[in-house]
Amino acid sequence: MTLAIALSSALSTLVLVLALVLPSIASPAVPFGVRVPARHEGDPVVTRQTRLYRWRVLVGGIAAAGLVVVLYAVTGVTLLLPLSVLLLVGVWYGCFFLANHGIRAAKAAGGWFEGVRPGVAVDTGLRTDPPRFPWLWLAPALIITLATVVIGVLLYPSMPDILVVHRGIPDRTAVKSVATAFSLVFVQLGVTALLTGIAAAIVFGSRPDIDPAHPATSARWHRRYLTLGVTVLLGLLALIDLGMLGSSLLMWTGTVTSWAPLVVVVPILVGVVIAVVVLARNNREPDEGEPDTGLTHREDDKYWRGGMFYVNSDDHALFVARRFGVGWTLNFGNPRVLMLLAGLVALLALVITLRFGG
Amino acid sequence: MIINVDLGSEVPIYQQLRDRIVEAIAGGVLSEGSSLPSTRVLAADFGINFHTVNKAYDLLRREGLLQLNRKAGAVVTVTPGDPAFRADWTARARTLLAEAVARGVPAGEVLTTCRSVLESFATTQPQDMP
Repeated sequence: MTLAIALSSALSTLVLVLALVLPSIASPAVPFGVRVPARHEGDPVVTRQTRLYRWRVLVGGIAAAGLVVVLYAVTGVTLLLPLSVLLLVGVWYGCFFLANHGIRAAKAAGGWFEGVRPGVAVDTGLRTDPPRFPWLWLAPALIITLATVVIGVLLYPSMPDILVVHRGIPDRTAVKSVATAFSLVFVQLGVTALLTGIAAAIVFGSRPDIDPAHPATSARWHRRYLTLGVTVLLGLLALIDLGMLGSSLLMWTGTVTSWAPLVVVVPILVGVVIAVVVLARNNREPDEGEPDTGLTHREDDKYWRGGMFYVNSDDHALFVARRFGVGWTLNFGNPRVLMLLAGLVALLALVITLRFGG
Repeated sequence: MIINVDLGSEVPIYQQLRDRIVEAIAGGVLSEGSSLPSTRVLAADFGINFHTVNKAYDLLRREGLLQLNRKAGAVVTVTPGDPAFRADWTARARTLLAEAVARGVPAGEVLTTCRSVLESFATTQPQDMP
């Protein structure tokens, strides 16, 4: 129980810290997901909205946490704890949306885009000589998965006849069989395939958003950020697989302890924190003193629904850089993305039905 | 190479694309054998109609600066200018220089500008015959 409280608090703190830091690490060209021309990047409206946003996040976050603590003290329902993280994400999005709306209104009223020269910059080198996929960083995940299979096969004869199945928490027992003993290996394989696919799609199927005012700096930064992002994603994958290896070992040796969930959760949490910190530190394009070309990024707010979700059916890209946040986001207007998502949901539904229904 | 397109310019986008590619060849950013993305990929990256890119590529192909084929895509090639090209180029240069003279730009400044532009292309410029 204390474990659930500690984990939920850790996750909530991570969300809260990230929410407070985001305005400082997001691109100043798109404050709160609103495209603004360079001369309005430090506009008083943006500064005021940033201050308001931080206050709202802080007050809303503390209120949400307090509400969950009171509810938990009264009812004692453990499910409330992970729900508190979701509640916090909801509060955060609300604060984001208010700031987004405020800046959009000021932009429209003040005619911020009047008289600017809109431009588009493309780096053809990203297509003719794309960044290399960091295959070497895939090795840890593959080695850990393979090691899990080998250890499992070796231990199988000596495993207890009744296995304690871990689904995050050790929650039921099952008669030993290949399907039960190797259930987490199947999860490893699935997650490895999924994240490798996402990494490949980011390298080969993402569209860079190059700043036409400083195109050379922007293109260099994009290339570096792409490689970095994919590397930390593969690192996170290795840590997820490590968690599954640890949990499998507990199951195979018949170990039942109160700290079993930590074996899965700690590596994943560490991986997420590393990924977020590395991306956050490199999230802004550096100023390398490249002379300004006089062009401004074209107004593209209409493709960002709710300021956060990219929907553009004319864009072939599967992923684009996130505007408010770190990393990439899916292009929900791309039919291929929708088909892949539908396939993924169907696959998950199938797995859940087979495991829980059977 | 980086291609920057000015969407507010009076110069059509296909013409801007063609001009930037010619400049990149002259400046040595692109050389014989360099490849360019396919029309569809480049159009998608720009967020423009692929016919626009097609038009620019076709212009470059007719000028002998680009080879288009299904397998290798778009590859830069350099065809030396024949007398017809030189005559046409001289006519266009004449108009451009006339613009400067008509607007009162001193001859010395025109020559300095021409020289510095040519020097910026120096790496790829063929040496003058003795």
